[in-house]
Amino acid sequence: MKTERLGKNIWRAAWQSGAMVVLAMFIGLLVNEGRSDGLALVADWSPEVRLTTDAGDSMVVSLEEAERLCLDKKAVFLDARPPEEYARGHISCAKNVPWQGFEAYMDRVWGVIPEDAWIVTYCDGEACSLSEDLAKELMALGYKQVKVLLNGWTQWKEAGLPVETRDGDRQTAGIEKDGTSSHHRGHPLQYS
Amino acid sequence: MADVQTGFFRRQWQQDGPLGLIARLILGVIFIYASMDKIAHPAAFAKDIYNYQILPEVLINLTALALPWLELILGIFLVIGLFREGTAWMVTLLLIVFFGAMVFNLARGLDIHCGCFHTSAQGTDSAPMAWYVFRDGLFLVPAFYLFFRTVREQLQAARGRAS
Repeated sequence: MKTERLGKNIWRAAWQSGAMVVLAMFIGLLVNEGRSDGLALVADWSPEVRLTTDAGDSMVVSLEEAERLCLDKKAVFLDARPPEEYARGHISCAKNVPWQGFEAYMDRVWGVIPEDAWIVTYCDGEACSLSEDLAKELMALGYKQVKVLLNGWTQWKEAGLPVETRDGDRQTAGIEKDGTSSHHRGHPLQYS
Repeated sequence: MADVQTGFFRRQWQQDGPLGLIARLILGVIFIYASMDKIAHPAAFAKDIYNYQILPEVLINLTALALPWLELILGIFLVIGLFREGTAWMVTLLLIVFFGAMVFNLARGLDIHCGCFHTSAQGTDSAPMAWYVFRDGLFLVPAFYLFFRTVREQLQAARGRAS
């Protein structure tokens, strides 16, 4: 009797929960149908689709192209990861503009990098979105040529391309720990 | 059946007691508030869910569409006191799931936008994930209170019926 009664109460909590979930899905789908900018129910989240501008241009840059842009000093490389990760190691021609707390790092971009400059953003990992978010914000700010090097740090490192690390003897002075000072010191890239 | 009845119209304001009422109102307001921006910006919320890198891609948009409404329904039901058991269970379950998702990403070093109250359409957000985990833990206090109270009531009801 006791277990039967308890079972009934659990059953009640369960159907109430289920009813709310079903109702939420129903309303959510209905409202989405009614919106002019409704979402596709199943979306393609591949980087190529996410990183296509409204004009239809891809923002993805290949490793080969990025290597050329870095070595020829044709583009500004921005590392969107937090300062600690940047300090541990980064692409040799990159400076750190963390996406987390971007407003605080605006002075490294605005007025420093000309609007028509080529910019390559990167972070680490296939799924990392910091570089994408930074790239899209930069485009919104008016930068014309912003590219994203997907899985940039890992790709770059594995290809054996030039990097700087905390222990490295090159450019150690330019590596910040607190992310507040000396971000231009020792930077190899000139913007003129 | 009358001893543990649910429903707004069954004298449940009296049944709840001040603590239960406060817990319900706090959680209700939090959930209603949390749903607003996500309902307004489903695409940005979908991006936030994607960034968590937990759900399979086919479920991301469906979750982005349904979850905010579930939060709104839960919030409203908590405030008016409807489906008392169901809301206590669901709120606790959701907060635990959010907690787990954030701790999981904190542990693997993925520092992402919380997407808890404001979607990323609202601009950048510099607070660390650890703060959101702590905040979620705070919300779990009233949720656990409500949850364990419904369990206790259920046990009492079962015992009362058995004796």
